[in-house]
Amino acid sequence: MTTTGSTPRERPVSLKPQPWRWNHPRVLVEHPDEKLGMEIASGLRYAGYAVAICPGPRGHARCPLTGPAGCAPAHDADLVVSSLALGDDSAREILHELRTRYPQTPLLVEVPSDADAELRALLDGCHLLSAPATADQVVLAVQRVAGAPGDGDEAPGA
Amino acid sequence: MRSPFDSEQEAFRFVIVLILALAAIVLAVAFGPAWLAYVVVALVPAGVAVHATRLRMRSLRGLELPVKMAPPHVGGADERRVLIVANDALAEESLLAELGRLAAEPQTHVLLLAPAVISSAARLTGALSGPMEEARARVRTALERVGHERVVGGEITEAPPLEAIEDAFATFTPDEVIVATGWEEGAGGLEPQLAGHVRDRFAVPVRHLVFAPGSEAREPSLDTERRYRDESGELAAKRFGLKALAGAGIVAAVLMSSVALIHSSEKTEARAASRQAAEQIAALPPVARSVALAVHPEFKPGPEGEKHDAFTVTEFSVRAGQPQQLRIDNYDTVPHSITSPGAGVNIVVMPGIHTYTLEVKTPGHYLWFCTFACDEWAMEHTGYMSGYITVS
Repeated sequence: MTTTGSTPRERPVSLKPQPWRWNHPRVLVEHPDEKLGMEIASGLRYAGYAVAICPGPRGHARCPLTGPAGCAPAHDADLVVSSLALGDDSAREILHELRTRYPQTPLLVEVPSDADAELRALLDGCHLLSAPATADQVVLAVQRVAGAPGDGDEAPGA
Repeated sequence: MRSPFDSEQEAFRFVIVLILALAAIVLAVAFGPAWLAYVVVALVPAGVAVHATRLRMRSLRGLELPVKMAPPHVGGADERRVLIVANDALAEESLLAELGRLAAEPQTHVLLLAPAVISSAARLTGALSGPMEEARARVRTALERVGHERVVGGEITEAPPLEAIEDAFATFTPDEVIVATGWEEGAGGLEPQLAGHVRDRFAVPVRHLVFAPGSEAREPSLDTERRYRDESGELAAKRFGLKALAGAGIVAAVLMSSVALIHSSEKTEARAASRQAAEQIAALPPVARSVALAVHPEFKPGPEGEKHDAFTVTEFSVRAGQPQQLRIDNYDTVPHSITSPGAGVNIVVMPGIHTYTLEVKTPGHYLWFCTFACDEWAMEHTGYMSGYITVS
């Protein structure tokens, strides 16, 4: 909490950076549209989730998730939302990596109505959401899959 | 300053490895051959450099990740938390007015964060109190001007601005960030590139307010923000280059010091060995470079009173490997010899005056005798036709 009053206090310097600096529940959202991604982030934040927004491989030469380095935000996420365009091979590769590396992490995927058989096979076991979804629809779907953040969760930054 | 290590254990391991590496250098220099010392001295800084580069690359990879993150919203659905990051812009009336406006809005909490602008040189020398005091005074003045003590807080920090904001996200959990800077980076001010960095890293709305002294705040155009981003890349590359240069200088200095240490050690050893050899030589009995002697038949009386054949000198002292000239006058009509199988010497002494060379390679005390048939008793007794060669 902030310190109020006219006397500024001195902020201690953190010595231990972490990808996720907040406790559960943590949601990683992969969304290629920055504006919509920020809307989803805002909705999820106000619903009580810590969020990470990634634009997917379009915003980065190669997704580290598909390389040896891995992706720290994905590693510690409690739920991953994939809104990437699944017609793209790199998006499917990311989906495959998520399924393989983090089989215990629930995966909520925005799926187009014309998904082919290969994609349907890849999505087996995922939670599905019809594409395109609005920010509110994504937030509701996350709450349905992950449950609303409970009172037992620790305070942020604790 | 934030540690490049992920954990205290990692930092501890690094310190232990560094100590062991330095111990290896010292041991190699003190006890090992020179080539081993050179190898260790080359390997240790190389290992440290590789490790530092890996840490740096890991840090850069983290910065390059296009992932924005944000904590959960804290408070009721109608509450709003605004983080304002500013330093020299706190002197601007328009920012203070904006601060006052936000503080007056219901259900709004504001945190004013002023990262002290500290140069690299000041960080190196620990001269942080000046910039910290400036930031403290600015925040205090701003808070006094704005009032609203219940909803506005102020913090100053010595941490770099982006790290301070990251820390504020962990404790204040803002829903919005306002970054107030000048148009260009100046002394005492925050970099205008900061807003772009905050946008890249945090999944909350970020407003960039830019101030020219005495004028209203403006939000930069997309082109200006793009220029800031490009400049930021160049600046980061320049800083990394300077740090790499400084690192290379340090590694070179360490290498040169170590090589000098090894050379000094070698010279000391060589000097000590040379001094020891000189002392040993000085302690040896003196030897002559040339000796004059003669061989006389029936010359030297034996214990029974009869005279026997004899060399006038029968004890020779020489240095190993150094020739000694023997000028021998053989008064006899037949040849004699100085023969020593142990010393590898066989000098045939012809009648008349001749010069011979006596040279022995290996130190020792060697018996010599004459092998030519002459006085049998004298041939078997040292001091007559037999004696010793002492080689030192």
